Amino acid sequence: MSGGDFESTGSGQERGGKKYKKPKAGSVRIDMTPMVDVIMLLLTFFMLTTTLSAPQLMSINLPKGDVNKDRVKLAANNILFIRISDKDNIFVSRGREDGSETPLEKVNINQVSQRIEREYATNADLTLLLRFDRASKYKIMVDVFDEINRAQIKDRRYAIQPMEQKDKDALTAAGG
Amino acid sequence: MKKNRDIKKAEVKIDMTPMVDVIMLLLTFFMLTSTFKAAESEAVEVSLPQTLYTDTNKVPEQDVMTISVSDKGDVFLDVDNYNIRKSVFGDIFGIGLYHPDTLTKSDIENTGKVGNKDVKRTIVKMNKSQFEDKIRQMKNELRNQKQNPKAEFKVILKGDRDANYGAIEDLITSFNETNTKVFSLVTMIKQEKKE
Repeated sequence: MSGGDFESTGSGQERGGKKYKKPKAGSVRIDMTPMVDVIMLLLTFFMLTTTLSAPQLMSINLPKGDVNKDRVKLAANNILFIRISDKDNIFVSRGREDGSETPLEKVNINQVSQRIEREYATNADLTLLLRFDRASKYKIMVDVFDEINRAQIKDRRYAIQPMEQKDKDALTAAGG
Repeated sequence: MKKNRDIKKAEVKIDMTPMVDVIMLLLTFFMLTSTFKAAESEAVEVSLPQTLYTDTNKVPEQDVMTISVSDKGDVFLDVDNYNIRKSVFGDIFGIGLYHPDTLTKSDIENTGKVGNKDVKRTIVKMNKSQFEDKIRQMKNELRNQKQNPKAEFKVILKGDRDANYGAIEDLITSFNETNTKVFSLVTMIKQEKKE
């Protein structure tokens, strides 16, 4: 009895099954709601935790060797002084051959890279000597390095030097 | 039968497949782009300066020595490796505090906070020579751990944009003393052009 039943249903399923499945149960419906819920949660989590603007790095290489022993002599006319006053103003001057320097010139921070490019166009052996006042802000230092790095010059040679009293006096004379 | 049919007709089925597709794409995007803030980097929060120029490399994930400078000139010395922290500061949550600039007053000692946030770490006070010793000690520890005498930290300097240069100058002096010749300034990308 049961065997007969199986046979009949088996053959019937093949024919009749197709007929029935097409209009009604042809596609297996999976309830996606729980999945969507979970995915939405995950999405919200990642959207909130992500920080799109990841911090960047700007590397600075200090000269190798001992600061007190290993010194490099620079020709006085190959120096470009960049001094930053305690009021965060930037002053640029060029060294002259006799050891003196051109009058300090106040430069807007936006123009520093162009200024460096212009100076390098006249003398490609320039070295930048950076002297920051201790009371100047870290932001201005970063800005200056930003400008130096962005200047289209071949060899970037710079040195960070401590600011001396005569630098401060010169800055005050030039208007701080 | 009649009742059943009525119910079926009333059921409005929305095909969620396209929506799920889009959400999946978004999810993948955020999962891949997101970088989790390391617990260490949150020890001291500073407002980073912005620059247009940056190196192509991102903040490294391993062997990082983080030196944070708060707007009041407090310098915090931290490493990502807790074993090194334990041996150098005697506490796995240790963080070194050094206040180089004598012109300004240490903020953390008065208020116990940086900015408005508590520093949830064990603060170890240092003077200049101790600061330099700790850096040397950390380097030795790293080299011992890695069994590599040339292993180096990636030194990153997170300065607050309002910090005085004086503190940075003292740091550079200490870097020279400890033969830390390469370091990186952490900045954010400047979004808008300068006016």
